[in-house]
Amino acid sequence: MTESTDLLQGTLDLLVLQTLAAGPMHGWGVALRIQQVSQDVLQIGQGSLYPALHRLEYKGWIRADWGNSDNNRRAKFYALTATGRKQLDAELKGWERLSAAIGLVLGQIPEAAS
Amino acid sequence: MIREALTHLSLLFLCRKSQELDEELRFHLEQATELRIAAGMPPEEARRQALIEFGGVERVREQCHQQLPGWWLGTVAQDVRYTLRGFRRNPVFTIAVIATLAVGIGATTAVFSVIDRILFRPLPYTHGDRLVSLGLGQPLERQEFTLGGFFFEWRDNQQPFQSMTYEMGYGDCNLTENQPVHLHCISVAQNFVPTMGIPLQLGRNFTAEEDLPNGPRVAMITDGLWLRRFNRSTAAISQQINIDGHLTRIVGVLPRDFEMPRLQPTDILQPAQVDIAAQHTVNSGIGYPMWAFARLKPGITVAQAKAAMQPLYLHTQQWIPPELRKEFRLQVRSLRDRQMQDAYAAAWVLLGAVLVVLLIACANVASLFSARGAARQRELAVRSALGASRSRLVRQTLTEAFLLALAGAAAGCVFAEILLRVFIAIAPTGVPFLASARLDPRIVLFTVLVSLICAALFGIVPALEKPRAIALAARQTRSGADARLRRLLVAAQIGLSVVLLSGASLLVRSFWNLQQQSLGIATRNVITVHVPLNWERYPSGFLDFYLRTEAALRRLPGITAVGMTDSVPPIGGQGMRYPELRVVGRAPTPAGLGGTVSVRHVTPDYFRALQIPIVNGPGFTDPERNSTGHFMILSRELAARMFPGEDPIGKRIEVAIFNPYRAPGLIYSVVGVAANVKNAGLTGDDGPELYELATNQPDTWSDRHFFVLDSSLPVSVVAQLIRSSIAQLDPTAPVEVSSMTQTVNQLADRPRFETALLGFFAFCGLLMAVIGLYGVISFVATQRTQEIGIRMALGATRFDILRLIADEGARLILLGGLLGLGAALASAQLLKSLLFNVAPRDPLTYAAVTVLLAVVALIATLIPARAAMQVEPVVALRYE
Repeated sequence: MTESTDLLQGTLDLLVLQTLAAGPMHGWGVALRIQQVSQDVLQIGQGSLYPALHRLEYKGWIRADWGNSDNNRRAKFYALTATGRKQLDAELKGWERLSAAIGLVLGQIPEAAS
Repeated sequence: MIREALTHLSLLFLCRKSQELDEELRFHLEQATELRIAAGMPPEEARRQALIEFGGVERVREQCHQQLPGWWLGTVAQDVRYTLRGFRRNPVFTIAVIATLAVGIGATTAVFSVIDRILFRPLPYTHGDRLVSLGLGQPLERQEFTLGGFFFEWRDNQQPFQSMTYEMGYGDCNLTENQPVHLHCISVAQNFVPTMGIPLQLGRNFTAEEDLPNGPRVAMITDGLWLRRFNRSTAAISQQINIDGHLTRIVGVLPRDFEMPRLQPTDILQPAQVDIAAQHTVNSGIGYPMWAFARLKPGITVAQAKAAMQPLYLHTQQWIPPELRKEFRLQVRSLRDRQMQDAYAAAWVLLGAVLVVLLIACANVASLFSARGAARQRELAVRSALGASRSRLVRQTLTEAFLLALAGAAAGCVFAEILLRVFIAIAPTGVPFLASARLDPRIVLFTVLVSLICAALFGIVPALEKPRAIALAARQTRSGADARLRRLLVAAQIGLSVVLLSGASLLVRSFWNLQQQSLGIATRNVITVHVPLNWERYPSGFLDFYLRTEAALRRLPGITAVGMTDSVPPIGGQGMRYPELRVVGRAPTPAGLGGTVSVRHVTPDYFRALQIPIVNGPGFTDPERNSTGHFMILSRELAARMFPGEDPIGKRIEVAIFNPYRAPGLIYSVVGVAANVKNAGLTGDDGPELYELATNQPDTWSDRHFFVLDSSLPVSVVAQLIRSSIAQLDPTAPVEVSSMTQTVNQLADRPRFETALLGFFAFCGLLMAVIGLYGVISFVATQRTQEIGIRMALGATRFDILRLIADEGARLILLGGLLGLGAALASAQLLKSLLFNVAPRDPLTYAAVTVLLAVVALIATLIPARAAMQVEPVVALRYE
């Protein structure tokens, strides 16, 4: 198995929302897509993926509908709601701020050391 | 019902949800399997790999469920069922906790509901907290009053009040219509109703014109009279009623909760119609007596108001005779303080007692929970091992505590209601507002919360401890910290019971003293008859009526003596200052010295009816009643004081009048010395007393006089005869007959009430403490059964075992008893004002309480200890 990275607390919700922003998708698709896009670095265990999907559904950020998959199997498709889209924007901004801040700190340490 | 429906609904919802989830997860697995097959894996292997990668399906399912907001609500029903099952398995624990809570909650709620009415009830006036009572304080009358000569000068020059008003408290009047009714009419100032902030139900206040001297006769009536006389018809307004022979127009109806600030009974308010200008001439120049009340301006405190009134008071002091000036002082206090001055001490003592009972109840519940917690450690460990989370276990304990508190609260409310009824039934009339006390839901809630918190607190402690693996393995569960806590709680309960018990015992002894003391008069078979006559019907005075009634009563069967007086012991007569008495031929006593003398105006038969012995001299005789002379009998104490070592008989005494200045008074001949009687209430000391002979001079008789009869027949029989013989003389005269025993008993009502209540609480407290002690000792004994078996196998005698277990109890009793004695001695001072002839630290009482507690507690210890002693060693060794 490829080396995987532990997800930062709370970032799974962001990843799921971002993935679903591309269009409705079933749970399998979400897991697969995150894995592909992250070039196998991020592997979402089912043990956390499905609870996360349900949590987001209860919060009203995503919506679930039954539909047919590519191979014509009944599957549950998740789609971003309007609230979810807003939440995604907010979380993206928060993430950018956080990663920029971390980047700053990490970037400065070598300079200070040298 | 509703809960069940909700549970079903959520179960249906959960079912549908879980089917969907299963399908979703299956789809996921299939996709993962297909991916692996596409990569060239054999289908069997692909499915196996996918399953491995997926992990626990059940766990995912569970976690998905837990994402549902409020999913844990579903577990509550489960907890409740589990708890109820537990209660059924362990009924002793359940009943003990519920009974303890019921007593604690019930007693606390009932007493708080009473105290609340006394200490904290809102006055039935708009912004009643801004009202003050002000006036002159003086040793003869502790409750402040004022006089017309002072009031109007204060009212016209005062700064701190929005307005000042007064009532004159003229009490008696009769509704003289077809059915004569005795009523209470009070004269008040025109601004009385607006100043006190009394909202009228109907009609209007008096106008300024109606309050002028000789103004029109108008009245406001209370709700009670409105109901009785007019059946609450609005047509009552501007109707005329006949009060003491005068047609009086009704202008307003007072609210239902109306009460006079001095709480005297009231039916009718009339304008006082005081002639302000005459106040410096009437009543020897000091004006009519009145009671003043005022409404503070916003932001002014009572203390500030008093300071602001002081200069005005000093200025008006000129109206007080100089020799009396230093007796008087200005008194300003909140209306509530005035109303409650005697009830405060009793209320605080009750409050303290009931808080102690609540504490004991909480300690008891806590120790019961803690004992159970220790016993259940294994169960908790097993549940934890089976996967119950810590929060689930805590929730389970909370559910138990909550259910128990709920049951206890329900039982407590019932108990409180019963207690409250008992209080009201046995309470003396002197405790204000008790009759209207109701259970207060806020107080119920408060006490339930307190018990809930203490149950939860102590219930949670064992659940919070990480269930130790050792508890699973150990054959015997023990927790040293828990046991220590439990012992401390029991010791605290014993200590608190000592405090309660000693308080109750002090009150019982005090009450005993009160009942045993000699009043100096006979009360058995003595009947008093009061006829509140109406001035209007007897323009030439009451003497004639009294003499005819006296003669009629003498003719009744079984009556052996008929005396007349204006007061009877143990209440004092009219007060007089000692310096007002001067032995003819001697210098007067300097003013302000010698205290007061009680004066009664009596006929010769008074002494026979009450069996007061005349110890010296001939006493009053019937022929003297018709003379114009003035005769006097001194009490033994007064005689010894005025004529030490001399024979007072035949001495002459001048009774000076200080109204307003010392004026020559009447000269009395001393014709006898009577034995001392109680004349300052049941708890007061005997004071000096003198008797004036009531001669047949019409102007010396007032409507306050009444008859004292010595009867050989019971009151119930004689009362009817008395009524009918008086009705023959005046059919409109209201007659009040009461027995002396009853009157004296009523005076003891209050101490009896206090004693009964505190005794009850002490009993509750002791009972709970003993239950707690018993519980802990038997728990300890059960836990040590195996140890006992080993000891016995090694040769310990049964007596050794008894001592082993009893030792434990004795240590707790000793510790608790010592703590309690200390606390009781420290708090005894609080009781001081309620005690009669008992010191608050009476050693005998404390010794008795200690012995009683030790005996009862030892019994509670010995029962489980004996049970432990009788354990068969073989059984004990096998015991788990």
